Parts: sequence; structure tokens; C-alpha cells
Amino acid sequence: MKPVEVIGIDVSYGAKKVLEAISLHAEKGEILGIIGPNGAGKTTLINAMSRIVTPENGEVYLNARNLDSFSFREMAQQVAVVPQGISISFDYTVRDIVMMGRHPYIGRLSSATSHDLEVCDRAMRLANVTHLAGSSVNEISGGERQRVLIARALAQEPKILLLDEATSNLDISHRIEILNIIRNLTDEITVISVFHDLNLAAYYCDRLIMLKEKKVFAIGEPGDVLTRETINAVYGIDVLVRTHPLTGKPYILPVYGSTTKHHQGQNVHVICGGGTGSNLLYVLHREGFEVSAGVLNLLDTDYATATALGIPCITEAPFAAISPGAREDLERCIDAACAVVVTAMPIGRGNIENIRILENYREKPIILFCDDGNQAFQDYAGGEAEAIIRRLLDRGAVTAERIEEVLQVLKRAA
Amino acid sequence: MRRTASITLLALTGILLASMACAVTLGPASMSLGSLFTLPNAWKIFWDVRLPRVIAAVLVGCALAVAGTAMQGLFRNSMADPYIIGTSSGGALGATLSIILFAGTGRPVFAFIGATITTFTVYTIARQGGKVPVETLLLSGVALSMLLSAFLSFLMYTAGQSLHQIMFWLMGGFWNVSWDDVRIATLIPVGCLAIYLYARDINIISLGDEEAIHLGVNVERLKQVLLFASAFLTGIAVSIAGAIGFIGLITPHVMRLIVGPDHRILLPAAALAGGILLLWSDTLTRTFAGDMPVGIITACFGAPFFIYLLRSRMKA
Repeated sequence: MKPVEVIGIDVSYGAKKVLEAISLHAEKGEILGIIGPNGAGKTTLINAMSRIVTPENGEVYLNARNLDSFSFREMAQQVAVVPQGISISFDYTVRDIVMMGRHPYIGRLSSATSHDLEVCDRAMRLANVTHLAGSSVNEISGGERQRVLIARALAQEPKILLLDEATSNLDISHRIEILNIIRNLTDEITVISVFHDLNLAAYYCDRLIMLKEKKVFAIGEPGDVLTRETINAVYGIDVLVRTHPLTGKPYILPVYGSTTKHHQGQNVHVICGGGTGSNLLYVLHREGFEVSAGVLNLLDTDYATATALGIPCITEAPFAAISPGAREDLERCIDAACAVVVTAMPIGRGNIENIRILENYREKPIILFCDDGNQAFQDYAGGEAEAIIRRLLDRGAVTAERIEEVLQVLKRAA
Repeated sequence: MRRTASITLLALTGILLASMACAVTLGPASMSLGSLFTLPNAWKIFWDVRLPRVIAAVLVGCALAVAGTAMQGLFRNSMADPYIIGTSSGGALGATLSIILFAGTGRPVFAFIGATITTFTVYTIARQGGKVPVETLLLSGVALSMLLSAFLSFLMYTAGQSLHQIMFWLMGGFWNVSWDDVRIATLIPVGCLAIYLYARDINIISLGDEEAIHLGVNVERLKQVLLFASAFLTGIAVSIAGAIGFIGLITPHVMRLIVGPDHRILLPAAALAGGILLLWSDTLTRTFAGDMPVGIITACFGAPFFIYLLRSRMKA
């Protein structure tokens, strides 16, 4: 018997479909997170489980009992909801608000019993708002007000707690405080919560449901749901997924790509290594260039960056010199590119072929990029690298000290 | 909190009783309570004129204040009031229809029907996607109220009624109140009690419809009950004394400042205060102002108060 079971529900607002064929269940005592971009239907899903909206198809069961068979009062004894925040027109005290959580237990002709008062006191203690009991809800801070709403939900003694972005409006310390309170609730309470912050979701949830355009896109443990591919498919952004060094949970680092691509379809090849090209690769990628990189040795920092950004990369085994196969790939990339950028990197016997090949291209625009002038080409190839660079400059290669200059040259080359 | 609330309620009850005792002695013919038993005329004035009028004023004040309190809670808006959202005009139109068509038979029923239809119409017009924004509620109430008042004036005018009569229905007054009206007014405590049974629900719905559903309130039914009960109270009040404004606006507001927003205390406090307020307004007009419509008095302090609320709302 699952605390919550949703079977194939469709929800529409008027003619607009908001949820389509959603099925899910929650296990007793778990925290189930609902994630997805704005408009994916997260709040509507919470609303369907708390009967604010009625699905046109499909069923919702609470402990194997159909949602429709509950009275409003019975429903409120099973399910409590913590909203994102509420605006309260009148000056109720904190205790007034928390006592409202007992409403489903008090008959129309009766008033609160001592048991109701005890439950209310315990709820306020759990949510750490006891000291606020006499204050007006309109005079306390946003974080305190959210805790009051949690206390009110706990006063309902629910089996299921639904949170609709209950912490989204709070600063990080209050978010963590409130989520810790929720995670420390008894094993009897099942929590289903909408999250905007993927890292909080990854840490606090036992399982995640990822929504995309009205449908369930992925479901499972945070490590399985939060991958670079799913996040890209659902949110349309590029991220790096790492493991949090302390918690062992997935940790998402956005790549902060710009959404406006100015240079769609313009190919640029970057020859770099040792981390000298990472920033440049990122900027070119963000600006919308079709970037290729290489030849790079596996394990090189720039190689890691290129793969993280999804940039095609010509590779060679660690510490190995450039093979004829890699050289052919490099030629193809250079042929396709409208310009080649060479970053000021250490050049040795292993990678000298990268620049030696450029001497065959008389017409190709070449940019030598020395970041801020701090870096220079370091020749570990007994003078040959320096000689090649000098000849490239003689035949018209430009130097750039800042990335903006590189972008200007590339614009002209297009 | 509990204690201050009960003290306030006791004090209000005391003030109300004292005011009633005081009001029966005041009037164009001033007389002391002691003279009731010595002068035969004095008893007649007391029993036939002043007592029914005082009781009616108190009960009508209660009705309007309780209806106003319920509406303010329901609409989460301390500017709602049966007069402003058009319920009173609807009631007045219903009452005049009964006068013109059936010589006044079933006047309270007509007033109730008129008040109910108007309330639900305004509510439907103002409702946008399940919410009732303050601005549209007030504007649609005012618009409908003007239309209904024009209808009322037209009907009364073509039916050959005096302007004084038209004025009565538009501004309200107690000058032809009799014991029959008091008998109708005994329905007012019933309506107030019905609303009081939902006091806790009103507390909760004042947080918002969805919140109320989460806390186990059958929101749609509650709205119907409250709107019906408010229209019932307003209908009876209007059929007795015409459309008196602002009692339902001011009383809940002032009482909320004194006893707080908990409707279990606010409703009885507003009922008592509404009675006191309207009783003194009526006493004022019949003693010092040649019995002009009492609505003029209530509007004189009610409208500035409304403007003050509007200003402080805009600042916030």
C-alpha cells in the first residue's frame, strides 16, 4: 500500500493541457522531489494531489483509497500542504495560524481541546517558532513565516506532506534550516516537494521525478536522474555534474552559456593544451561558434574542458606524440575552420606537429593568443617552435592578448 | 487575548444596553425614564414610537455589521460591505417592487431575493480565474448599485411616490418603523448565529481559497452559505430601514483593530458595535436633524473613512 499513487492523470486548465499521462508513487517515509523547468507542471501536480485541481483522466490514491472519496475534512487530516508563501490580509498571530491546522479535527459546534493545544505546541516546537507564538504573522520575516506554515502543516498531523517550492523565496541558510526540519520528521510522514534548486533536490531527496513539458521525463534516484544529458534535454542548458566532495551526492555546476548565439555555424579550430585554452574554448562555445580542438592528449586540462562543453576534440594517448591518424583529423578540422586560434602553450616534441602543420596553410587566418600577455610560447623543442611561430607571424598571423580581440578577428574572418 | 476579548464583549454589551436606555429618553419630546409611569402620553410615545425604533435600529445595525464582517473575511478585503458591493441596492429594489406590485406584501422576501441576486451577480462579474480582485469587486459593485438605484428611482417616480419615499430607500431611515418591523427583525439574530457557526471557517478562508481547501474547508459551499446569509441579513435590514451605507464597512474594521481578526470574537464584537453605531446615528437624526434619512449621517462619517482606507491601501 503506497501512501501516494498517481495513475495516468491528465490535467487541463480550460483548453490548455498542463499535465499528460503522469504516473508516480511515493514510498512511506521518503522524500520525493519534483523538478523541471517553469511551466512543466510541477505546481499543478502538487495541486492534483491536494485536490485543488481535478484531473480529467486518471486516478490519485492515498493509501489505496481514491482521492475523490475523501471529504475535505478527511483529506486535510491526511495531506498537508506548505505553499511558497502566503499573503495574509489580517493580523493573525502565529499561534492563530498554527491552530488553524487543527481545523479538520474540530467539529463545527465544538472548540479546541487540550489535545489540540498540545499538538499545536509540539508542531511549533518542531518548526522552531514557539518563541513567535504571540507575534503577528505580518511582522515576522519570510523565513519565520515559512516555518510557521510548516508548523501549521505539522499541526494537521498529516501522513503526507506536500511542499510547493516551500523554500524558494528564502536565503540559503533558511532553506537549509527548513529542509533539515523536514528531513528530521518521523519516518511516518511521506514528503513530496517541488524544487527549483537542483542541488538541494539532489541532497535532500531519496528519489526525483523530472518533468518536461507536461510529462514525466525521468524518475529515480538523484544520481540517475540528474545527469548532464537529462538536464540539457529538460532545461536546455549545459551543466557539469560532479560529485559533492562531502555528501557524495550529485552536484550541478551550470556552464552559464549565453542563450543568444551570435556566431551560429562558424567553424573555429583551437590548438591549445595544458589549460591555456579552457577559458577561450568556453567563450567561443558560448558565443555560438562551432568549435573544434586538438590535437590534445587525453588527461590534458583543456581536453577535460572540451569534453565537458561537448566540443569535438582530436585526441592522442597520454604523453604520446601526434600520430599520422590524428594529423589527418587535424587537417580536416583546419580545412573546415574559417580561422585557427593557437594559444600560448608549452610546445615540445610531442605536440609540435600541431603548429608545424599550419605552415602548409598560406591563406588561413591564424590568431596567436597570449592571454593578457602573461603567457608566452614556451619552447621545449630546441628552438624549432620559436622558429615556426616567427615564420607564422611573418606570413600574417595576428596576435591577440585578450579574448575580445580574438572575437574581433574572427568576426572579420567570417 | 481571550481575556481582553471577553472584557471587550462585556463592555460593548454594557454600552449597547446603556445606549438603548438613553436613546428612548431622547427625541423631539425629551423625557426621563421616570416620567414613563407618570405621564400617559409618555408611555405611548415610548411604547409605540421609540422602543420599536430603537430595537429596529440596533438589530439592523447588527445585521449590516455582521454581513459586512462576513464579506470582508470572504473577500479577504477590508473594503467590502453590503452597501458598496451593491447588496443593499438590490435589496432596496426588491422591496420597492413588492410595494409597487403587491402593496408591500412579502417585502422582506423580495428584499432578500433582490439582495441575493445582486450579490451573486457582482461576485460573478468580479471573479477572474477563481479569484475576486478588490478593484473589480468594488467597481462592479458600484456600477451595479448605480444601475439598480436608477431603476428604483424610476419605478418609484413613475408609480407616483413622493421623493421623500425614494430618498428613504436610497439613503435609509427608521421614521415609519412599527412593531411589525421589529417582528421581521427578530430573524436577524438567526442569520447572525448562522454566520457565527462558520466563524472558524471564515478565519481560514481569509487566508485564501487554496489554503482553505488544504485545511479541510469546503470552500465553494462556504462561499454560498456566507453570501446567502449576508444577503439574508442585508435583505431584512433593507426591507426595514432602506439602504443604509457604511455600517458594514466601518464596524468590522474598527473592531478588528480592537479585538483582532479572529472571527469567533470579531463577529459578536462587530454585531454589538454595529448596533451601537446605528442606534446613535438614528438617535442623532431624529433628535437634532429633523428626522432626515439616517444614511446621510452614516455616509458623512463612513465615506471619509472609506477614502482613508483607500489611501492607506494605496500606500501599502
